[in-house]
Amino acid sequence: MPRASQLNGVFAIYQKELATYFRSPIAYFVIAVFLLGTGYFFIYNIFLTGVGTMDETFQNMGILLLTLMPVMTMRLFSGEYSGRTMELLMTLPLAPWQIVIGKFLGAVTMLLLMTAATAINLVPLYLFGNPDSSTILSGYLGFILLGMACLAVGQFFSALTQNQIVAALITIPVLLGFWFIGHLQSFQTAPHLRELFGYLSFALHFGDFIRGLVRSEAIVFYIVVSAVALTLNTSYLKWQR
Amino acid sequence: MRGGFFLTSLFIVKSASTAIDLQSVSKRYGSKNIIHDVSFSVQKGEIVGFLGPNGAGKTTTMRMIAGFTTATSGRITVAGYDMATQNSDAARSLGYLPEQPPLYDVLEVSAYLRFVAKVKGIASASIAAELDRVIQACRLEAVVTREIYKLSKGYRQRVGLAQALLGTPEVLLLDEPTAGLDPGQIQETREVIRAVGQDHAVLLSTHILHEVTLICQRVAIINNGRLLAIDSPQGLQRASEKTNRVSLLATGPAAAMRESILSIDGVKSVNIRASANDVDLQEIECQVDAEEGIEASIARAIASRWALHRLERQQPTLENVFLRYVSENLHTGIAA
Repeated sequence: MPRASQLNGVFAIYQKELATYFRSPIAYFVIAVFLLGTGYFFIYNIFLTGVGTMDETFQNMGILLLTLMPVMTMRLFSGEYSGRTMELLMTLPLAPWQIVIGKFLGAVTMLLLMTAATAINLVPLYLFGNPDSSTILSGYLGFILLGMACLAVGQFFSALTQNQIVAALITIPVLLGFWFIGHLQSFQTAPHLRELFGYLSFALHFGDFIRGLVRSEAIVFYIVVSAVALTLNTSYLKWQR
Repeated sequence: MRGGFFLTSLFIVKSASTAIDLQSVSKRYGSKNIIHDVSFSVQKGEIVGFLGPNGAGKTTTMRMIAGFTTATSGRITVAGYDMATQNSDAARSLGYLPEQPPLYDVLEVSAYLRFVAKVKGIASASIAAELDRVIQACRLEAVVTREIYKLSKGYRQRVGLAQALLGTPEVLLLDEPTAGLDPGQIQETREVIRAVGQDHAVLLSTHILHEVTLICQRVAIINNGRLLAIDSPQGLQRASEKTNRVSLLATGPAAAMRESILSIDGVKSVNIRASANDVDLQEIECQVDAEEGIEASIARAIASRWALHRLERQQPTLENVFLRYVSENLHTGIAA
């Protein structure tokens, strides 16, 4: 169990991260693109098809997330390297895990804010339709879990390079790979491989949530992906010394 | 158990005065040896200058002491804590200004300093007072609310210094703290460092030799990753030359004056000739041992019987000392 003073260190990093997000144009850009995209998909899916569910919108939001989260995370460590501030962080009384967790919590907070803002779409949905609240809730749960996994992966790749663009350019294809890996199932006859590809797929797990299916296996999957990425991130920082 | 107790008490005695201690520290990157077997220590209340040409290994050594990189072999202790095993304890007793001040450009100066203060574990009740203290010490009052990216180079450097001073750490590591400052700021920064050095251990790297003589009690000269010498500036000057030259201008009989000077202990040779400008004046050149006080004896001997107009001891400057150490090392380095 971490001591109170260690949590203070995490909290200081967290506060610094939030302060940095709100002073950087990139975070505003990401949020703006995300909300515009989500609004567009929502209008397209609901008003053009006349179906009062969020299924399709969530699906589209998921893909939007894969391309936008790397832009949110690309500066997390690359920026510290290129700004020479890593030397400060690594020589202050902070353990690498405190830096990693503080940054992750900051990014997750931005994700939660973004996600909360999309709730405005629910107003017309509830006014003019009769949506299933539990399905929408489970969709949002899946969305946030997916977003956390994307952030953790993006944060890890950001620690590998001091070039922010490179960090984003590595993260996006990796996340897309995790998203589409389920499609490989169609090309496989070996049942174990089919199972493996299915299990690794970001999209298949997310699909369950969208349909209102909250499976503990899917929750655990996203948490494990995040935990593995954050652990690799911490180990890499330790190894760098 | 007795042995254990003995060791612990020894450790405490050592840590009470020795703030930074390096024992045969080496650093390798791949097959390249960057630092070779460097040992020295810095006591509490002492300012030690770390002197060397660019690329000599100053920054790497600083980074190892600060815990940004680890030593390949050898042992580093900061405030009694082993950097290899008690990194976070050591970090709590350390203020570090890297070669490039580590600043978050988008934050305001006060937000940045508050962040560092929090991470350093300063109690939230005393953060405001601590911020005021370093802001005053580094003369940052005018820019407290300004974003760091808007600051001039001199201010950036001083924000970096303020960050290092937060929490009055036992050990201060300053990598070229006056780089990029204008003469007035350099003066102020030196004052700050001198004040801090009263009760803290300061290791300060620089390639400005003059700075070292002004504020450092001891100087460590490093080149090609090897520690060449560590001593007081005066000690280095004395050690570098076995004999000094004393030159005088006096009026009196040449032979008698030569006799009188030669009889003084430590005088090796005397050379007298009449001045070209004034026939009454004698120009006297003496080779003397590199000891304090000889020129005073000579002055007394001459002035008591004849007229002494001028006396000068020509000491090697620190520049000469430094260049000699560095170039000697260069030659031996090539020979090895």
